[in-house]
Amino acid sequence: MKTMLMTAIKISISEVMETMFFLPVEFGRELALAQSRIDKYNFACQLTFTGDSSGYLIIMAPKNLVAEMAENFMGEAKGLLTDEHLSGTLMEMLNMVCGNALSKTNSQVPFELGIPEMINASEVSENEVFTIVETTESKMAIALKVA
Amino acid sequence: MSYSILIVDDSLPMRSVIKRTLKAAGYGKSEMLEATNGQEAIDIMKNSWVDIVITDYNMPVMNGLAFIKTIKSAELSKDIPVVVISTAGNESKIKEFMDCGATGYITKPFSAEEIRDLLVNILGEVNYEDDVDDGNQDFDF
Repeated sequence: MKTMLMTAIKISISEVMETMFFLPVEFGRELALAQSRIDKYNFACQLTFTGDSSGYLIIMAPKNLVAEMAENFMGEAKGLLTDEHLSGTLMEMLNMVCGNALSKTNSQVPFELGIPEMINASEVSENEVFTIVETTESKMAIALKVA
Repeated sequence: MSYSILIVDDSLPMRSVIKRTLKAAGYGKSEMLEATNGQEAIDIMKNSWVDIVITDYNMPVMNGLAFIKTIKSAELSKDIPVVVISTAGNESKIKEFMDCGATGYITKPFSAEEIRDLLVNILGEVNYEDDVDDGNQDFDF
Protein backbone atom coordinates (compact mmCIF):
# COMPACT_ATOMS: atom_id res chain seq x y z
CA MET A 1 0.00 0.00 0.00
CA LYS A 2 2.78 2.40 0.92
CA THR A 3 4.62 1.74 -2.34
CA MET A 4 1.48 2.36 -4.40
CA LEU A 5 0.75 5.55 -2.47
CA MET A 6 4.34 6.78 -2.81
CA THR A 7 4.14 6.23 -6.58
CA ALA A 8 0.95 8.31 -6.70
CA ILE A 9 2.60 10.98 -4.55
CA LYS A 10 5.57 11.23 -6.91
CA ILE A 11 3.24 11.63 -9.91
CA SER A 12 1.27 14.29 -8.02
CA ILE A 13 4.42 16.17 -6.98
CA SER A 14 5.47 16.32 -10.65
CA GLU A 15 2.00 17.52 -11.74
CA VAL A 16 1.56 20.10 -8.98
CA MET A 17 5.11 21.47 -9.15
CA GLU A 18 4.92 21.86 -12.92
CA THR A 19 1.33 23.18 -13.24
CA MET A 20 1.12 25.44 -10.20
CA PHE A 21 4.77 26.36 -9.50
CA PHE A 22 6.35 26.05 -12.98
CA LEU A 23 9.20 23.96 -11.57
CA PRO A 24 9.90 20.58 -13.17
CA VAL A 25 11.28 18.04 -10.70
CA GLU A 26 13.28 14.82 -10.62
CA PHE A 27 13.37 12.31 -7.82
CA GLY A 28 16.57 11.34 -6.05
CA ARG A 29 17.49 8.79 -3.42
CA GLU A 30 15.68 7.85 -0.26
CA LEU A 31 17.60 8.90 2.83
CA ALA A 32 17.02 8.84 6.56
CA LEU A 33 17.02 12.31 8.06
CA ALA A 34 20.17 11.48 10.04
CA GLN A 35 22.03 10.51 6.83
CA SER A 36 21.22 13.68 4.96
CA ARG A 37 21.49 17.41 5.23
CA ILE A 38 17.73 17.77 5.04
CA ASP A 39 17.60 18.83 8.68
CA LYS A 40 19.28 22.07 7.61
CA TYR A 41 16.16 22.98 5.62
CA ASN A 42 14.28 25.64 7.52
CA PHE A 43 10.73 25.09 6.26
CA ALA A 44 8.92 21.91 7.30
CA CYS A 45 5.24 21.11 6.95
CA GLN A 46 3.09 18.12 7.92
CA LEU A 47 -0.33 16.91 6.78
CA THR A 48 -2.28 13.93 8.12
CA PHE A 49 -4.75 11.89 6.10
CA THR A 50 -7.26 9.12 6.72
CA GLY A 51 -9.00 6.69 4.38
CA ASP A 52 -8.10 3.24 3.03
CA SER A 53 -4.75 3.97 4.58
CA SER A 54 -4.01 6.61 7.18
CA GLY A 55 -0.80 8.42 7.94
CA TYR A 56 1.00 11.65 7.28
CA LEU A 57 3.23 13.43 4.81
CA ILE A 58 6.12 15.71 5.79
CA ILE A 59 7.82 18.07 3.37
CA MET A 60 11.02 19.94 4.14
CA ALA A 61 12.46 22.65 1.91
CA PRO A 62 15.02 25.47 2.08
CA LYS A 63 13.75 29.05 2.22
CA ASN A 64 15.14 29.98 -1.21
CA LEU A 65 13.14 27.21 -2.91
CA VAL A 66 9.93 28.03 -0.99
CA ALA A 67 10.37 31.70 -2.00
CA GLU A 68 10.77 30.70 -5.66
CA MET A 69 7.64 28.53 -5.42
CA ALA A 70 5.66 31.37 -3.80
CA GLU A 71 6.86 33.86 -6.41
CA ASN A 72 5.79 31.58 -9.26
CA PHE A 73 2.54 30.55 -7.57
CA MET A 74 1.30 34.02 -6.67
CA GLY A 75 3.01 36.07 -9.38
CA GLU A 76 4.46 38.41 -6.76
CA ALA A 77 8.07 39.58 -6.52
CA LYS A 78 10.08 37.79 -3.83
CA GLY A 79 10.68 41.06 -2.01
CA LEU A 80 6.95 41.47 -1.38
CA LEU A 81 6.48 38.02 0.12
CA THR A 82 6.18 37.58 3.87
CA ASP A 83 6.85 34.43 5.92
CA GLU A 84 3.06 33.90 5.95
CA HIS A 85 3.10 33.78 2.14
CA LEU A 86 6.01 31.32 2.18
CA SER A 87 4.61 28.95 4.79
CA GLY A 88 1.15 29.22 3.18
CA THR A 89 2.61 28.26 -0.17
CA LEU A 90 4.34 25.18 1.23
CA MET A 91 1.19 24.12 3.10
CA GLU A 92 -0.93 24.57 -0.03
CA MET A 93 1.57 22.60 -2.10
CA LEU A 94 1.46 19.70 0.39
CA ASN A 95 -2.35 19.89 0.49
CA MET A 96 -2.60 19.70 -3.31
CA VAL A 97 -0.06 16.88 -3.57
CA CYS A 98 -1.75 14.78 -0.88
CA GLY A 99 -5.29 15.32 -2.19
CA ASN A 100 -4.24 14.74 -5.78
CA ALA A 101 -2.32 11.56 -4.89
CA LEU A 102 -5.12 10.07 -2.79
CA SER A 103 -7.58 10.80 -5.63
CA LYS A 104 -5.46 8.56 -7.87
CA THR A 105 -5.63 5.53 -5.58
CA ASN A 106 -9.30 4.59 -6.20
CA SER A 107 -9.76 4.06 -2.49
CA GLN A 108 -12.87 2.29 -1.20
CA VAL A 109 -13.11 4.56 1.83
CA PRO A 110 -13.39 8.29 1.00
CA PHE A 111 -10.22 9.97 2.21
CA GLU A 112 -10.09 13.01 4.47
CA LEU A 113 -7.19 15.42 4.78
CA GLY A 114 -6.21 17.19 7.97
CA ILE A 115 -5.18 20.85 8.06
CA PRO A 116 -1.53 21.31 6.94
CA GLU A 117 0.67 22.68 9.70
CA MET A 118 4.17 24.07 9.84
CA ILE A 119 6.40 22.08 12.18
CA ASN A 120 9.84 22.63 13.63
CA ALA A 121 12.37 20.72 11.53
CA SER A 122 14.21 19.73 14.70
CA GLU A 123 11.13 17.82 15.87
CA VAL A 124 11.27 15.38 12.94
CA SER A 125 12.57 11.93 13.92
CA GLU A 126 16.11 11.15 12.72
CA ASN A 127 14.82 7.77 11.52
CA GLU A 128 12.22 9.31 9.20
CA VAL A 129 13.00 8.31 5.59
CA PHE A 130 12.81 11.11 3.02
CA THR A 131 12.72 11.00 -0.77
CA ILE A 132 14.79 13.77 -2.30
CA VAL A 133 12.94 15.93 -4.85
CA GLU A 134 15.27 17.95 -7.07
CA THR A 135 14.37 21.11 -8.96
CA THR A 136 16.78 22.71 -11.42
CA GLU A 137 18.57 24.73 -8.75
CA SER A 138 17.48 23.36 -5.40
CA LYS A 139 16.18 20.35 -3.48
CA MET A 140 13.41 19.51 -1.08
CA ALA A 141 12.47 16.27 0.63
CA ILE A 142 9.24 14.42 1.33
CA ALA A 143 8.46 11.62 3.77
CA LEU A 144 5.40 9.36 3.84
CA LYS A 145 4.37 7.49 6.95
CA VAL A 146 1.48 5.00 6.71
CA ALA A 147 0.03 3.66 9.95
CA MET B 1 -20.90 43.82 -15.48
CA SER B 2 -19.13 43.49 -12.15
CA TYR B 3 -20.02 41.16 -9.31
CA SER B 4 -19.37 40.74 -5.63
CA ILE B 5 -17.37 37.53 -5.29
CA LEU B 6 -16.65 35.99 -1.86
CA ILE B 7 -13.50 33.84 -1.73
CA VAL B 8 -13.34 31.48 1.26
CA ASP B 9 -10.01 29.74 1.83
CA ASP B 10 -7.70 29.54 4.84
CA SER B 11 -4.64 29.79 2.59
CA LEU B 12 -3.49 33.37 1.93
CA PRO B 13 -1.51 32.35 -1.20
CA MET B 14 -4.49 30.42 -2.59
CA ARG B 15 -6.81 33.41 -2.09
CA SER B 16 -4.29 35.53 -3.99
CA VAL B 17 -4.08 32.96 -6.79
CA ILE B 18 -7.88 32.74 -7.06
CA LYS B 19 -8.19 36.56 -7.20
CA ARG B 20 -5.52 36.72 -9.88
CA THR B 21 -7.17 33.91 -11.83
CA LEU B 22 -10.52 35.71 -11.65
CA LYS B 23 -8.90 38.87 -13.04
CA ALA B 24 -7.35 36.84 -15.86
CA ALA B 25 -10.75 35.23 -16.48
CA GLY B 26 -12.40 38.60 -17.00
CA TYR B 27 -13.73 39.45 -13.54
CA GLY B 28 -11.16 42.16 -12.77
CA LYS B 29 -13.77 44.84 -12.05
CA SER B 30 -15.65 42.67 -9.58
CA GLU B 31 -15.49 43.29 -5.84
CA MET B 32 -13.58 40.46 -4.18
CA LEU B 33 -14.33 39.74 -0.53
CA GLU B 34 -12.19 37.29 1.46
CA ALA B 35 -12.77 34.96 4.39
CA THR B 36 -10.49 32.36 5.96
CA ASN B 37 -13.22 29.87 6.97
CA GLY B 38 -16.95 29.24 6.71
CA GLN B 39 -17.88 31.09 9.89
CA GLU B 40 -15.99 34.20 8.83
CA ALA B 41 -17.73 33.99 5.43
CA ILE B 42 -21.16 33.81 7.10
CA ASP B 43 -20.30 36.91 9.15
CA ILE B 44 -19.35 38.76 5.95
CA MET B 45 -22.54 37.64 4.20
CA LYS B 46 -24.64 39.08 7.04
CA ASN B 47 -23.37 42.55 6.19
CA SER B 48 -22.46 42.45 2.47
CA TRP B 49 -24.22 41.53 -0.74
CA VAL B 50 -22.58 38.54 -2.43
CA ASP B 51 -23.34 37.36 -5.99
CA ILE B 52 -21.30 34.17 -5.86
CA VAL B 53 -19.18 32.25 -3.35
CA ILE B 54 -15.98 30.38 -4.17
CA THR B 55 -14.99 28.14 -1.28
CA ASP B 56 -12.39 25.61 -0.26
CA TYR B 57 -13.46 22.46 1.61
CA ASN B 58 -10.68 21.79 4.08
CA MET B 59 -10.62 24.74 6.51
CA PRO B 60 -10.41 25.16 10.29
CA VAL B 61 -13.34 26.45 12.43
CA MET B 62 -15.99 25.67 9.78
CA ASN B 63 -15.21 23.60 6.69
CA GLY B 64 -16.69 24.12 3.23
CA LEU B 65 -19.37 21.47 3.58
CA ALA B 66 -20.76 22.83 6.86
CA PHE B 67 -20.59 26.33 5.37
CA ILE B 68 -22.62 25.34 2.29
CA LYS B 69 -25.20 23.53 4.43
CA THR B 70 -25.57 26.64 6.60
CA ILE B 71 -26.06 29.15 3.78
CA LYS B 72 -28.32 26.82 1.78
CA SER B 73 -30.60 26.45 4.81
CA ALA B 74 -31.02 30.21 5.23
CA GLU B 75 -33.77 31.98 3.25
CA LEU B 76 -31.65 35.02 2.38
CA SER B 77 -28.63 33.08 1.08
CA LYS B 78 -30.07 29.82 -0.26
CA ASP B 79 -30.07 31.00 -3.88
CA ILE B 80 -26.49 32.32 -3.94
CA PRO B 81 -24.40 30.08 -6.23
CA VAL B 82 -21.46 28.31 -4.57
CA VAL B 83 -18.41 26.97 -6.39
CA VAL B 84 -16.11 24.59 -4.50
CA ILE B 85 -12.39 24.63 -5.30
CA SER B 86 -10.72 21.79 -3.47
CA THR B 87 -8.13 19.03 -3.58
CA ALA B 88 -10.72 16.55 -2.28
CA GLY B 89 -11.51 15.35 -5.78
CA ASN B 90 -12.99 11.88 -5.22
CA GLU B 91 -16.46 11.29 -6.70
CA SER B 92 -18.24 10.66 -3.41
CA LYS B 93 -16.99 13.96 -1.98
CA ILE B 94 -18.02 15.88 -5.12
CA LYS B 95 -21.48 14.24 -4.95
CA GLU B 96 -21.74 15.25 -1.29
CA PHE B 97 -21.05 18.89 -2.20
CA MET B 98 -23.53 18.88 -5.07
CA ASP B 99 -26.20 17.19 -2.92
CA CYS B 100 -25.77 19.97 -0.36
CA GLY B 101 -26.42 22.62 -2.99
CA ALA B 102 -23.03 23.47 -4.53
CA THR B 103 -23.41 24.85 -8.05
CA GLY B 104 -20.04 23.65 -9.36
CA TYR B 105 -16.80 21.99 -8.41
CA ILE B 106 -13.20 22.59 -9.51
CA THR B 107 -10.33 20.36 -8.47
CA LYS B 108 -6.89 21.79 -7.62
CA PRO B 109 -4.67 22.21 -9.57
CA PHE B 110 -6.94 24.27 -11.80
CA SER B 111 -6.67 26.56 -14.82
CA ALA B 112 -8.03 30.07 -15.39
CA GLU B 113 -10.15 28.62 -18.21
CA GLU B 114 -11.89 26.18 -15.86
CA ILE B 115 -12.86 29.01 -13.51
CA ARG B 116 -13.91 31.31 -16.36
CA ASP B 117 -16.05 28.65 -18.04
CA LEU B 118 -17.82 27.73 -14.80
CA LEU B 119 -18.44 31.34 -13.73
CA VAL B 120 -19.66 32.36 -17.20
CA ASN B 121 -22.02 29.40 -17.07
CA ILE B 122 -23.37 30.56 -13.70
CA LEU B 123 -23.24 34.36 -13.97
CA GLY B 124 -23.34 34.92 -17.72
CA GLU B 125 -20.78 36.39 -20.11
CA VAL B 126 -18.36 39.05 -18.91
CA ASN B 127 -17.35 42.03 -21.01
CA TYR B 128 -13.70 41.17 -21.55
CA GLU B 129 -12.77 44.58 -23.00
CA ASP B 130 -13.94 46.20 -19.77
CA ASP B 131 -12.90 43.61 -17.26
CA VAL B 132 -9.64 41.97 -18.29
CA ASP B 133 -6.68 43.19 -16.28
CA ASP B 134 -4.09 44.20 -18.87
CA GLY B 135 -1.20 43.49 -16.54
CA ASN B 136 -1.31 39.72 -16.34
CA GLN B 137 -3.34 38.32 -19.18
CA ASP B 138 -0.88 35.52 -19.83
CA PHE B 139 -1.43 34.09 -16.36
CA ASP B 140 -2.35 30.44 -16.60
CA PHE B 141 -1.42 27.21 -14.87
